Amino acid sequence: MTYRRRASPLHAARASVALAWCAALGAAALVSWHPLVLAAVLLTALAAAAAAGVGREVGRFTLLVGVPIAVLFMLVNPLISREGLTVVARLGGVGPVPQLDVTAEAIAYGAVTGLRALAIVACSALYFSAVDPDAVLRLFRRFGFRSALTASLTTRLVGVLAADARRLAEGQRCRPGPPASRLAIVRAVTASALDRAGDVAAALELRGYGRAAPPARARAPWSRHDLAFALSAAAVAALAAGAQAGGLAGFDAYPRVALQGGAGAAAVAAALALAGLAPFLDRRGIAR
Amino acid sequence: MSRLRLLALLAALAVALSGCGLGGGQGDDDVSLLVTRDFGARTLGSFGPGPVEGSETIMRLLQRNFEVETRYGGGFVQAVDGIAGGREDGRPVDWFYYVNGVEADRGSASSPVHGGDRIWWDFRDWGTAPRVPAVVGAYPEPFVHGLNGKRWTTRVECVPGQEDLGPCGDVARRLGDAGVVAAKSLVATEGGDENLRVLVGPWQDLRFDRAGRLIDDGPQASGVFVRFSDDGTELQLLDARGEVARTLGPGSGLIAATRWEDQPPTWFVTGTDQEGVKAAVRALEEGALGGRYALAVADDVGIPLPVVEDRGGR
Repeated sequence: MTYRRRASPLHAARASVALAWCAALGAAALVSWHPLVLAAVLLTALAAAAAAGVGREVGRFTLLVGVPIAVLFMLVNPLISREGLTVVARLGGVGPVPQLDVTAEAIAYGAVTGLRALAIVACSALYFSAVDPDAVLRLFRRFGFRSALTASLTTRLVGVLAADARRLAEGQRCRPGPPASRLAIVRAVTASALDRAGDVAAALELRGYGRAAPPARARAPWSRHDLAFALSAAAVAALAAGAQAGGLAGFDAYPRVALQGGAGAAAVAAALALAGLAPFLDRRGIAR
Repeated sequence: MSRLRLLALLAALAVALSGCGLGGGQGDDDVSLLVTRDFGARTLGSFGPGPVEGSETIMRLLQRNFEVETRYGGGFVQAVDGIAGGREDGRPVDWFYYVNGVEADRGSASSPVHGGDRIWWDFRDWGTAPRVPAVVGAYPEPFVHGLNGKRWTTRVECVPGQEDLGPCGDVARRLGDAGVVAAKSLVATEGGDENLRVLVGPWQDLRFDRAGRLIDDGPQASGVFVRFSDDGTELQLLDARGEVARTLGPGSGLIAATRWEDQPPTWFVTGTDQEGVKAAVRALEEGALGGRYALAVADDVGIPLPVVEDRGGR
């Protein structure tokens, strides 16, 4: 999953704001336990990805990474949790194997935890595909110049080394006889990584990066998309925090499943989705 | 029959035999639950005796009847109805539970409830006695149903010459009235490690028993908050801090239980002298012992142990 500039309001927003917006959405999933709110966060992230032109990438990543994690939570929790009052199945109970009671509450808890993981994965995927990583690194270079430089170089070198590995593997396949082991490729790539690191360090030194002077702060006026996404992030964060503090969207799995809030939780979920997606309605000036 | 069908049949048979199934299964009858604090001095609530659902654990039974807060993945009870473990007046306090008068050796979430079980949760100070391995408050348990669905053989051990007479015979009769068939033998006779023993007689004759030595070693060893004088004629009643709250003289009795290692509990129906033993035997009944860790008897009046200051009664 890589970032590519698209013509969308989220891509048009400055990195700090886009980062805050994705973080607010992820934080909403982290602080909330109510399935309606979690579903709203997930749907908002997927809809936002579609509106930002990265729906396929985000959907694929969520499906490939998020769904297995969610299914794992759903399957494992009922087998390891001893909590809950409603026994729906009994397993084991013979000889030294103790009886394992599967409870409806443990299944519900596993399902909600899985939904939460799915929502967080979707938010992360959206961040990776819609927020410029270089711009994010530029945000932090004033505070940690060397760290930002290291992170920036690392992200680039990973791609360079992967390309190296692909080339070497292709060359290896062209040789007659049985295929050589992958270990040889790994060894060659590792050796070239050290060579490249030495070259990069020498180039950086020659260009004066060793002084590590913090760069001047670049000031740019806020665009309508910056403002819209900043307001949206604030609204999403406030809604999630307010619902949690006000007991509008609570969820208790044990000892019995209890959903707090009722219609209030549905209202919070709807408001969260609206607040999150509203900035995508303004599509003026989104082209690069 | 095809190989596939045979495999399916075998799998179904294995599932049936291994106790697997849908739902909680068959429930148990005649289960009771008592929740108290301060060594049973104050009752907070109770359930039963009555039927319980299938696959019921001690934790689930508690959670069905009280507001419970748990820790460590739901395996440890931290608070019941808002009364939380921690420290009170600088002393460590927590929730402990007993099944048929025997302290649990595993978490309540993994302890199944059996028919006839008397379950007792108590919130108490454990600064002096971290372990109280057995209590008398579930009488006539554990004599009737044992522990974990397994009954023990009961043996009443008497002082030589009193096997059929006096207090020893009375104890055997009282157990018989509760439906317990008890064998009789002399004190300190080897009879295996799987017997639920009831030692009857003056303390001077019982204190050399291995479980009796635990009581002489103090509450931290036995969980019984008393101390006998060297000649056995005085009985000091201790409070929860292990300090002497009251001293009883001749004619005083004691009913207490403790446990030597992993053996079944050993009960003592004893006293400072023969009169004290008789007083203790008279107190050997459900009404007097219910919800007590141990009971001292003076002038035919029961004194719950450890001695706890009155906080409003039961």
